[in-house]
Amino acid sequence: MAILGPGRATSSPAGDELHTSKHVAYIKNLDTRRDELEYWLTEHLRLNGVYWGLTALHTLGHPNTLPRDQTIDFVLSCQNDSGGFGAAPGHDAHMLYTVSAVQILVTIDAVDELEKRGRGGKQKVGSFIANLQNADGSFMGDQWGETDTRFLYGALNALSLLRLLGLVDVPSAVAHIQRCKNLDGAYGIRPGAESHAGQVFTCIGALAIAGRLDLVDKDRLGAWLSERQIESGGFNGRPEKLADACYSWWVGSSLAMIDRLHWIDGKKLAAFVLQCQDPDAGGFADRPGNMVDVYHTHFSLAGLSLLKFNGLEEIDPVYCMPKAITARCLAGTSRLWVDGNPYGNPYGEYLPPE
Amino acid sequence: MGETTYSTDPEWADVTPIELDDGSNSSVMPLASIAYPPEYLEATSYLRAVMAANEMSERALKLTEAVISMNPAHYTVWIYRAKILFALNKDLNEELDWLNDVSLKYLKNYQIWHHRQVLLSSKPHFPTIPAKETTFLMEMFAQDSKNYHVWTYRHWLVRHFKLWDSPQELQDVEYLLKADIRNNSAWNHRYMLRFGPRDTDSPDAGMVNAGDIEKMPSEKGRLTVVDEEMVDAELKFAQEAILRAPENMSPWSYAKGVLRAAGRGLEEWEGFAGKFVEGGGVKSSHAVEWLACVVAERGEKEEAVRLFGMLEEVDPIRKNYWGYRIKSVEAAA
Repeated sequence: MAILGPGRATSSPAGDELHTSKHVAYIKNLDTRRDELEYWLTEHLRLNGVYWGLTALHTLGHPNTLPRDQTIDFVLSCQNDSGGFGAAPGHDAHMLYTVSAVQILVTIDAVDELEKRGRGGKQKVGSFIANLQNADGSFMGDQWGETDTRFLYGALNALSLLRLLGLVDVPSAVAHIQRCKNLDGAYGIRPGAESHAGQVFTCIGALAIAGRLDLVDKDRLGAWLSERQIESGGFNGRPEKLADACYSWWVGSSLAMIDRLHWIDGKKLAAFVLQCQDPDAGGFADRPGNMVDVYHTHFSLAGLSLLKFNGLEEIDPVYCMPKAITARCLAGTSRLWVDGNPYGNPYGEYLPPE
Repeated sequence: MGETTYSTDPEWADVTPIELDDGSNSSVMPLASIAYPPEYLEATSYLRAVMAANEMSERALKLTEAVISMNPAHYTVWIYRAKILFALNKDLNEELDWLNDVSLKYLKNYQIWHHRQVLLSSKPHFPTIPAKETTFLMEMFAQDSKNYHVWTYRHWLVRHFKLWDSPQELQDVEYLLKADIRNNSAWNHRYMLRFGPRDTDSPDAGMVNAGDIEKMPSEKGRLTVVDEEMVDAELKFAQEAILRAPENMSPWSYAKGVLRAAGRGLEEWEGFAGKFVEGGGVKSSHAVEWLACVVAERGEKEEAVRLFGMLEEVDPIRKNYWGYRIKSVEAAA
């Protein structure tokens, strides 16, 4: 699946129309553009690209657009002997692709394929992820040792979907998140790093999965997050940076998880995001006038879904997957949010090992 | 890319390249099979072969460079390259010089920064910070003074080499703030230099006590030993920045962090903040919020509500947030 282009977002006011059929066609056609130079340059994002495209199609209400069997074949072809997944066939395993693989398989209800055709079943996938946890609670992306709160979030996301959260030390992961908190009430990529809205999502999402949102100073964080909305209506990721459509998701979902999404102007946000779409060829860009890509397409639609934009499927702010699917997948677990109780599990429990 | 190909190069004659198995030979066309240009495909097929043999050689090192130049986001090649560098005991300063060029070319790439961190983590090679390191980082900041990867790396550097009191660190922060007083990354770095945790025996954190679940929220960021003179100087620094750009959030936020570190209250800035709200006009919404917090804490509900009400007017995009603040004041005992 291609990641970038080919179209551009409109730079004129787009009105309040969402060009659903254009976006569906855009994602569908991404896979037919293999002759373009861009295609191999973004090879390291291939499996993520499938997750973005697939989830966007679900959000748009067209869940069966991608052929299910081929999707499963592709996902499994990215798996390494270690149980982890690479970005594409022949690529080394890494946390980020492993999480995408799990999310895709859960979305198309094909986790059992791991047992049937995968390399060692879901337990092996879980072990791959669990082996990347460090003594301080943080997670590496692969054996190379880089740490990032994205990897920690991804680990908790995938393991909870597989019901294998008991394989890792959740309390120490929670402690690591706490150390990533800054004086402004928000969170960074690592302890001491500047607060960043994308990293806030990963930290709050991880705490939500761990059932420890009680540790968040919600008013303070909510103030910082709502301050991300600028005059154009869009969100930036850090103070004094430009707005970008994908932050409608990173900021919006974080606000939703702490029950403060109403602190921003949803109408103005939606108007900004809609200006980032290409009304003719489909897809969304980071900003009006820029080239569209599947990453911004997915996160723009996810952001609009949080705002309950007309006609879009509801998305789960913790998992960034269709809510109907996470509800099905997590049914019967101790997760309180599955039954509609918002994201505050005061008991700090997490899923026991199966 | 040059004219030579690996398959015709005698230096590579003994290596059997490993072709990419992307599943295209299976009966179903994979959803996302990849069209590679031939040069890249060939180079990576030789890369797979030498990696499989764990070959630590000059030619393999050169090959990693070729692959990186075509695709620096190829995450596996970096690990292999680092291994070779250490195995062959290469001059890591030369590697840094090469890396500088790659970094300046691919500003958004983050594999580069972890590679750099892996190299500089080697105490035998780098018992102290390399002389040209901060100069290069300033070159990076000249391209993008808010580059998140570079700042995160610089934070690591400070902690690894214990540079909190290095004059160079503060000098660079001041230079960058002078160029752009709204550079929140530089403000964050300044806070970490002045007030961040320095105990390298326990894990790093964004504030002292941040990771300690036992501590009350008010104790997070609070220092046990306070250099009042330094605190006063930092507060003055923040005030000067605010006078230059009153609506800039960073120095207001910084000042809150400084006061908290010193265990001092917001009320000592009541007079300063008041200057931005005189005569009916609002010159800084942050000043109004500051004042509102101070009077609310003193129990002056009516005044706090009036001030938050002003914010509803000047910052309508967040009127629900300010409404919430008003309700909280009214509900307080």
